[in-house]
Amino acid sequence: MRVILRRLGVYAFTAWVTITVNFILPRLMPGNPFDQIAAKLTGVVTAQELQAIKIQLGGDINQPMIEQYWHYLNQLAHFNLGVSITLSSPVSTILAGQIWWTVGLIGVAAVLSFLIGTVLGVVFGWMRGSRADNVIPVATFLQSVPYYFLGTVLIMAFASHWHFFPLENAYDLSITPGWHWDFISSLLRHSELPILSIVLSSLAGWMLGMRNMMVTIAGEDFVLMAVAKGLPRRRVIWHAARSAILPSIANFTLAIGLLVSGSLLVEQIFNYPGVGNLILEAVGGEDYPLIQGIFLLITFTVLGASFLADILYYVLDPRIRTATAH
Amino acid sequence: MRSLQIPKSPKVISGVVILGVFIVLTVIGPWIAPYSPNTNRFSTSQMPSWHHLLGTTLLGQDVFSQLLVGCRETMVVGFVAGFIATVLSIVVGLAAGYIGGKTDEGLSLLSNVFLAIPGLPLMIVINSYLPPGKQANPLVIGVVISLTGWAWGARVLRAQTMSLRDRDFVEAARIIGESRRRIMFGEIGPNLLPVLASSLLFTILYAVGLFTTLAFLGLTPLSTWNWGTMLYWSNTQNAAIAGQWWWVGPPGIAIALVGTSLALINFGIDEFINPRLRAGGLSARQRRKVGMSRRPHLGFTPVRRVSATKPTGSN
Amino acid sequence: MTLEHNILDVQDFCVDYGYGESAVRAVSDVSFTLGASRVLGVAGESGSGKSTLVYGLTRLLRAPGVISDGEVTFTIGAEGDQRAFDLLAATEQDLRAIRWSHISIVLQSALSALNPMRRIGREFDEVLRTHDKNSSKESRHERAIELLAMVGLDADRLDRFPHELSGGQRQRIMIAMALALRPELVIMDEPTTALDVVTQREIVSELYELRRQLGFAMIFITHDLSLLVELADEIMVMYAGHIVERAAATDLYHAPRHPYTLGLMNSFPPLHGERKELSGIPGTPPDLKSLPAGCSFSPRCAYAMDICHSSKPPLVPVDETGRLAACWLHDPSHSHSVPVELARKHVRGVEAQ
Ligand SMILES: Nc1ncnc2c1ncn2[C@@H]1O[C@H](COP(=O)(O)OP(=O)(O)O)[C@@H](O)[C@H]1O
Ligand SMILES: [Mg+2]
Repeated sequence: MRVILRRLGVYAFTAWVTITVNFILPRLMPGNPFDQIAAKLTGVVTAQELQAIKIQLGGDINQPMIEQYWHYLNQLAHFNLGVSITLSSPVSTILAGQIWWTVGLIGVAAVLSFLIGTVLGVVFGWMRGSRADNVIPVATFLQSVPYYFLGTVLIMAFASHWHFFPLENAYDLSITPGWHWDFISSLLRHSELPILSIVLSSLAGWMLGMRNMMVTIAGEDFVLMAVAKGLPRRRVIWHAARSAILPSIANFTLAIGLLVSGSLLVEQIFNYPGVGNLILEAVGGEDYPLIQGIFLLITFTVLGASFLADILYYVLDPRIRTATAH
Repeated sequence: MRSLQIPKSPKVISGVVILGVFIVLTVIGPWIAPYSPNTNRFSTSQMPSWHHLLGTTLLGQDVFSQLLVGCRETMVVGFVAGFIATVLSIVVGLAAGYIGGKTDEGLSLLSNVFLAIPGLPLMIVINSYLPPGKQANPLVIGVVISLTGWAWGARVLRAQTMSLRDRDFVEAARIIGESRRRIMFGEIGPNLLPVLASSLLFTILYAVGLFTTLAFLGLTPLSTWNWGTMLYWSNTQNAAIAGQWWWVGPPGIAIALVGTSLALINFGIDEFINPRLRAGGLSARQRRKVGMSRRPHLGFTPVRRVSATKPTGSN
Repeated sequence: MTLEHNILDVQDFCVDYGYGESAVRAVSDVSFTLGASRVLGVAGESGSGKSTLVYGLTRLLRAPGVISDGEVTFTIGAEGDQRAFDLLAATEQDLRAIRWSHISIVLQSALSALNPMRRIGREFDEVLRTHDKNSSKESRHERAIELLAMVGLDADRLDRFPHELSGGQRQRIMIAMALALRPELVIMDEPTTALDVVTQREIVSELYELRRQLGFAMIFITHDLSLLVELADEIMVMYAGHIVERAAATDLYHAPRHPYTLGLMNSFPPLHGERKELSGIPGTPPDLKSLPAGCSFSPRCAYAMDICHSSKPPLVPVDETGRLAACWLHDPSHSHSVPVELARKHVRGVEAQ
């Protein structure tokens, strides 16, 4: 349990660093973005909201820094992320509306690619030395293809040649959203291609990592012992795979950051609603409150996912789990 | 100390060759480009031909020239960022692993923080605060990328240093009274080389990826060329929907090839670090050459009676 | 003494590492037989090919190991109802059926031989279930407890992970597991080498006791000859992949015939009895890629003659008891007198000088 608490401490600290960076960055930059924004916003938002944005962006330079900081934290604690300049509504409301698209898309894609990649890695690791090794160069190439490029290629293939998949949006905009089959099937159809691009780009990484680990673990005595015990092949592979999966989970923190970053662009390519699409609009419109809000949201989501991976690791590795128990 | 012989497998060789080609292009690319990447005096959206090896863009620019010119910026930023990040990870990782104690805790915490914050959103935020109209020069972006990309290498190096720290030869150096710095750089350093090389490759890979992504988003100066800006232009001008594969494809494939070459070289380093990836790893082709029809299955040792040609050692 | 059949019959067994041009021979022309319920000790320095031999016999050798010649016949069953298996011709399926229920193996490092992710109980359960699909979970659990009791461990060890146990406990668990299916042959590859001397001695005497009760045949590998005298009926000494001497355990121990055996004995203190000065063997084992001409041991041998550097000695009987050694010293046509320390007489039960 101590291990988990320690990790939690690290993530809490990271969250604090992220928040603080968010606070300091605008204040570090030359010039003052606030003045431009204030000009744009006068009359659009209430004075109180303006004040919140001001704090966030370092506009209220009359207050001492520490007080600004305190105020900023206070606002955050109440989920007050300011008001979007381009969309003229509270950032927290906008994000609440968009986050589920992103979490849904990336979540499903990440789980799929992890599962498929891991299983393939186990199989190819076990079949090392057979013709299946030819998959390595292909996978290495696939692993190196940027997510957004793969998305583009898929669009190109399916737009100009085969019309299998819808290429834009999360659902057919002529259908009213709701709990009925038309909408749900449209939703699924529209997510196929984005999910395919994310899965294809991230799959190879899991697969190659898992293959390497399988080959390594297959060299351990206990796997040979499993054979010596006359266990069927399936069980021998399971002995090895169970240990080999741990490094994959340990690398999850690193991988999830790359995956989320890549997926944000996939949203953009497929014009899929969600945070990724939003961040680019926000950058285009110099919508600082929105940019900051999104940054915090993404970082916290990644931290949350990493923490889940840590818990999973803890559950799966008895050496850590029992380290303090006995 | 082990000799630093990286296995010369076909994978490593092809990786080195591909990377070598791109490094050469980094140097000579802008010189051998047939046209200026900006010239838009050609007929628009042409398929590849002898005049335009990779066709032309919607604006009538030569894609092949853009690819050659864009190689330099892409590679230089990637390598510069990769090197800086690796230097940072050496300093942090070695210090944390060797000194240990409070230093280690502090530095590990720092690495964990940087590891957890996703790089792309952070870069977007930093970029958005740069004064309007004053987009950073690509090298500055490279430096910022390196600040977000050192943590993984530091973690790996720390672990390796810690395992080396307690080995005999380091102990021996300590006993004969070598200074801490001598031990760190003279004894531990060379043994870290393979891990270091692998971390360098990955950091370059990461930097090339992040830089081209930022460029793809139009967040790097559009006045100069790299593969990311090429993709930016093709994307904003809907080249994919229009099916202009000769415009969309080359920069993306080039990025992927650079990544592939780095990963292929890393296979060799992996095999060096972890002998199990190599031992008994007879490829299907090598196996056929010695006349084995079946790959060895774990725990079912093959029997091949070849008494006619007795191998060495049997006298 | 009843006439027992041979459980294992090995003829001209050869193992190579590598394929084609790059192959090196790690086990050369090894032949021996092992009677049911007998114990064969295999001794030799590290790297002499002991593990390669037994992994090869059981077809467990990893790539790039290849069995390059020989015959291995494994025979089980009572008289009149015997089944013989050609282990080198056996299919994967045949081998799976034979493994563990008839031949089990214990490795040097129990820590690495146990799956770190699993509780001990689950390992027992798995192996018992695999070979008896119809058994109930309770019966398997009971059998596991019974097996642990045989090696002097409490039932609560079943809930532990390998890393929570001491080295001695882990090795006892491996031994218990090896006996789980009452196999006819148990192979032990340096099972005590990683343990401290006290635990080593305890485990050896436990093994002695277990063997007396259960009567399984055993191949016991060690580089410590003194351990073997207590356990083995017969001892084989290996050097550079060859058998250099083979004799009844006490004969070999008290009256070695090969200079290498003599050197090996001087490398370890006897488990019981007075301590002698340990002299060891000068030099290092040869590189299999470039074995010296003639007798592989000749460069390190204090008694080497000219012929030893040019011609390989065959493994032949060296006295009327039929004990074997591969050394030119015992061939009268090449050597006029045998050094006294290699010509001791040993009368069973009496320690003769
Ligand atoms: N995978 C391998 N590839 C090549 N040579 C090997 C391999 N494994 C063992 N050997 C060689 O085979 C010889 C016998 O090794 P081994 O059977 O492990 O000896 P022992 O068990 O007696 O210590 C050694 O010289 C060793 O160098
Ligand atoms: Mg051995």
